[in-house]
Formats: sequence, structure tokens, C-alpha cells
Amino acid sequence: MGLFETLHIVIIALYALGTVLFLTSVFTENDRLKRTAIWLAVLGFTFNTVDLGLTLSRDPAALSGGTFYFNIIGWCALALYFFLWWRLRLEYLAITALPFALLLFVASLALGGIRVIMPPQLTALFFGLHIGSLVLTLGALIMAFGAGVAFLYYNRKLKTKEGLKAMGQSIPSLDKFDTVNRWAVLIGFPLYTLGLFSTFSWYLIAPFKPFAWDIMKIGSLAVWFLFAFLFHQRVVLGWRGRKPAILALWVFAGMCVSLIHHTITFKAMP
Amino acid sequence: MNKQIILIGLNHRTAGVDVREKFALTDIENFEQGLMAHCPVQECLALSTCNRVEIVAVAKKIPVPAVMDAVAEYWAMACGGSVELLTENIYRYADLEAVRHIFSVASSLDSMVMGEPQILGQLKDAYRSAVDKGTAKTIVNRLLHKSFSVAKRIRTETAIASSAVSISYAAVELARKIFGDLKPTRAMLVGAGEMAELAATHLLRNGVKEIIIANRTLSRAKELAESLGGEPIQIEAMPDRLHEVDIVISSTGSPVAVIKAKDVKAVLRKRKNKPMFFIDIAVPRDIDPDVNALDNVYLYDIDDLKEVVDENMAQRQGEATKARAVVDLETETFGNWLNSLNIQPTIVDLVGKSEDVAMRELAKTLKKIGPVDERTHNALERLVLSIAHKSLHEPICFLKRRTQEEGSAERFIDLARRIFNLDEESVPKNAHLDRKSATCAPEDIEQYIEVSKKEQ
Repeated sequence: MGLFETLHIVIIALYALGTVLFLTSVFTENDRLKRTAIWLAVLGFTFNTVDLGLTLSRDPAALSGGTFYFNIIGWCALALYFFLWWRLRLEYLAITALPFALLLFVASLALGGIRVIMPPQLTALFFGLHIGSLVLTLGALIMAFGAGVAFLYYNRKLKTKEGLKAMGQSIPSLDKFDTVNRWAVLIGFPLYTLGLFSTFSWYLIAPFKPFAWDIMKIGSLAVWFLFAFLFHQRVVLGWRGRKPAILALWVFAGMCVSLIHHTITFKAMP
Repeated sequence: MNKQIILIGLNHRTAGVDVREKFALTDIENFEQGLMAHCPVQECLALSTCNRVEIVAVAKKIPVPAVMDAVAEYWAMACGGSVELLTENIYRYADLEAVRHIFSVASSLDSMVMGEPQILGQLKDAYRSAVDKGTAKTIVNRLLHKSFSVAKRIRTETAIASSAVSISYAAVELARKIFGDLKPTRAMLVGAGEMAELAATHLLRNGVKEIIIANRTLSRAKELAESLGGEPIQIEAMPDRLHEVDIVISSTGSPVAVIKAKDVKAVLRKRKNKPMFFIDIAVPRDIDPDVNALDNVYLYDIDDLKEVVDENMAQRQGEATKARAVVDLETETFGNWLNSLNIQPTIVDLVGKSEDVAMRELAKTLKKIGPVDERTHNALERLVLSIAHKSLHEPICFLKRRTQEEGSAERFIDLARRIFNLDEESVPKNAHLDRKSATCAPEDIEQYIEVSKKEQ
């Protein structure tokens, strides 16, 4: 077994163990277990960073090969989680970040055969703007998804007067979950806009690729409109709590569908 | 054990408030000193709170009931009450039972509200005063320090103190679950009922920034505002100020609802949907129940809060089982330490005797080799003492281990004292006629060693 295979197995093992331990810690309210799970995730994330670094140093073209951008999305989601953990003390969101990181990492290995070929002269611009911003958006939406589900669940518990029993000592307040949603929308929508419209611009400046509407573009645009609505309601009208949480879940689901569709149907450039 | 720990006391379970009042100790320091002077105890500590009065004492090995009776008599005399009345209401514990009880008290397992934190502070105060007056010595010191660490361990390892068990505290906990940090929040008190005042006090103590007190009688609102540090307003002005606050505690005693859902809807628009928490303590209710159906609004009435408290009480009972297991474990550990105290005199005697022998042998050797300089003399002295100490290391460790075993301490200590003849008992000449005399001179031992070497 080579270095990469070993590294991949170690990363999967750390993410999987972290996920299992974190889920167990939530149910048993065991803080020590929770800390262990998060530090395992940190270790996994470190190895994942090393793996990405090694891959790119060995073959810089891998970035435009599209063989591991699921891996980058997972890595990005975890990076955002660590940021939220640091800023908001929201370790609870590992309940979303860890399983997603595991799922995306495994998917990146499974989908290693899919290749996205782009014209070399536009690779940097395209990848930098389009893929980079979408990856960050997805990371933010993964956090929003976790925070949204948690908000809806605990909001219902508080409304139905099961509050204190259901929300153990370690569960953050509803306000914290709502803050994550707000950040995800404030950061995610401009990034998604940039990611989406940079690709449209690319079509305009690429003479070899005529622009044509297809299901992928329509789907992406539909997600953008939904996201725009959420951004407007949240920022302009001051929506809070349940409604933006539900909308964020829809935006995330739409983006996932769009991403999966994109991954499966994207054809190599001529 | 050469010394025994005794504990006598009364609490909310064994005595009514009238009896507790009668036997409460107001001047604890003088009481402790008087107890040391009048009773056969070497150490003591008294704890007197509204729910319990307890006296812990350490006495030499004399009949425990006699010591307890003496302490109870002095206690009754100090309070000017009858001994009969006191003895009818007290509980008595000795040795490990007393230790277990003190650990339970410190961990608030014996409190009226299980898990309440005040008792630990009261016990610390009692201990400080006993230390100041010199009535707490080796055993009481260790016992109290251990009880503090047991209490801390129980708070850390169990959830016995983590849930709210009073209406007002439950309201604070719920507010925390909604807003997280309470520092930027503002509250409003609608009406000035006693329980609402208590809830407001709790909220302010937990960081709420500001409080507005709305009441029908402005003078009462002002009075309360002064004591709480808030802003008094007439109740008629309440709807116009509602959008400024995050938490509303209502207890007006009005026969109809004073806050309606449609009013709150308008308030929410003004607040840009910032969440609101309504606590309705009034019966009949002050706040329209439909308020709870609005997004970002949470309404809890007195029954909801009571339910929360009852659930938490049940949870604490469950945690108490875990806590008692910790107490049992720590009591056993403390018992081992008490047992190890019995071995101290034996160790001292053993080391003393060994050093004696070493120094005598050194003196003999120095006589033989003639005068030596001081440096050599000191080096030789260090050498023989070091040999004496090191040769005793294993036997002492063995004895210490044996004292950790239930019921075997006395036997091994006795055996060690006899083996090393620490009590300098003279053995009769005709003892053990069927065997070789047990007493022998050092020369005999040297001869025996020589023969053994040759045989090998």
C-alpha cells in the first residue's frame, strides 16, 4: 500500500471515528467524548490538508482535473466549522460538519474517475472564481444546514414546553444557531452569485463554447433565486429564526442536487 | 482506630423549625471552644444553618455513646434547651458513618433541595471558623478538605446541580436557551408580584442589562425599581414600551389577559423579529396563550415552569444514585487513611529503634578505629542511618499496605511491634521450653550468619 492509500485510510478512519464519537457524545452528554471527537476531526483535517497539498505538489494539473473537488468541499466545510467553533464556541455543529466531511471525502475517492477538462488559459480564472466560490458557498451552507436543523428541532421543543429537558447543558442557544444561519447567508449568497455568474462570463469570453440553456444552468439559477429571496428576507426584512432556517435547508438541498447533477453530467471540453 | 469520629445533629427531616430554632448555634466559635473544654473531645467543628445543626468531633477511644451524650448535653446547655427534647430529635453517627454523612452534606445530597450549592459555602465558613479557633486539627482538617473535594467531584461527574429546581431559576435557564448570553437583553416586569420579583432578581443576577417595572400603582413600581435598579412606568404605558424588551415577566392578577397575540405581532414587526420570551406567573393568566403560536415568541406559564421544575427534580434524584456511589467510594478511601493513622506511632518507634541500634553500633566501631575527623564522622553517621532507613523501607511499605485492608491493620501492627520488640517486653526465661530461646545476643546472630554462608 502506497503513501496516498494509507493517508486516505487514516483520514477516513479519523473522520468516521470522530463522527461516531461526536454523535455518541451528543446522546450521552459526555463532554470529554465530544472534545475527543473534535480533536480527531482536527487530526483528520490536518492529514486531509497534507493529502491535498501532496496531490497538488505532485501534479498541479490535478486542480483542473476535477478528480477531487468533492474532497475540497469537505475540507472547506470542516475549515468553516473550525472557524465557527473558534468564533462562536459552536462545537455542536460538528454533528453536521463531520458526517459531511466524511461523506464528501469518500465520494471524492469514489468519483476519482470523473474528469473535468478545461482550456488551460482559463483554468486559473475559472477555477478561482467559479469552483472556489461555490466550494466556499457549499461549506457555508453545510454549516447553515446543521444549524437550521438544530434550530427547527430545538425551537419546536421550546414551543411545546419540552425545553430544558430536551436541550441539555451542552446544547447552544437558539440565538447561536440563528447567528450561524445569518453568517452563512451573508457570506454564502455573494459567493454563490460570484461563482454562478463567473461561469456565465466564462461562456461569453470562451469562443469555443457557445452558451445554451440546459437543465444544469436552469437548476443553478433557480437555486440562486431562492438564495436571493432568503438573502433579501434575512438582510432587508430582518427575518429570523424558523423561516430562514427552513429556506436555508431548501437552498442547501437545491445546491446539493445541482452539484450532484453537475458532477454526473459535466462533459469534457472539446 | 485510636481516635473516633462522632457526629450528632438535627436537620429539616428530623426536627421541626421550632426545634431547629431552639438548638441553633449563634456563637459557634465560643461553642466549639467550650465543647473542647467540657467534653472528652480532641477536635470539633459545628455547623449551624437554617435547615441543620451538626457537630463533628474527634474523641479518643472511649465508648462512643458516652461521648455523644456528653456533646449533646453540652449542646443543650449552651442553647438553654432540654436534653430530652434534643436527644429525641437528633441523629448520631460514628466513624465511617459520620464520614459518609459529612460527605453527603457537603455534596448537598442531604439538603432540602438536593444539589443546592449554598451548603458547601456554609460548611466552608464553619470550617474556617474552626481553624481560626484551633478546634480543627489533623482529622477534622483532612475530613473537611476531603468533603470539599468530594463535593466538587460530584458536581463535575454528575448533573446533580445542573438543572433548575425553582420557578425563577427555570425561567432564567429557559431564557439562556433562547438568547444564550443574557448580558445584552432587557426585561420587563408587568405587575409586582412576589414571584415575579424573585424571577426578575434572578434575571438581573444572571446578567440582564436593564429592567422596566410596569405596575398599576406607580409608587409600588418605584419602590421595586429602587430595590432592583430598574425603570418604573405606569402599566398603561406598557404596550408602547414592549418592543424595547426581550423578556417579559407578568403577574398582575388581572381577570383578563393584559397582553394579546395581535399586540405582540405588532411588537415583533417593530423589533424586526427579534425573539421574545414571555413568563406568565399570574393566575388567571395575563398573556394570551396564542402568543406562543407566533414565530420567535416563547410563552411559558406557571404550570409549564412547574413541569420543568418537577422534571428536573426527578432528574436530580436519578443523579443522586451516582453521587452516592462516589460518596461510598470516597468514604472507603478516607477510612483507609484513618487506618493508616494507627500505624504512624509504630513507624516512628520502628525508625527510632533502628536509628538507636545504628548509632550504638557506630559508636562501638568508632571506639575500635580511634578518632576520626568531623567530615568522616558525619559521613559514617549518614551511612549507618541510611542503611537503617533503607532496610526498613520494605517492612514499612508492607505494613502500610496491610493497613489498607479491611480488619487486618490491628493484627499486623501488633505483629510488627512484637517482631521488633518495640514495646520492650521482657521475655520470661522459661518461655517456649520446647523451643530454642527467642532471645539471643548479637554475637549469636553473627555466628548463625557465618554458618549459613558456609553451608551455602
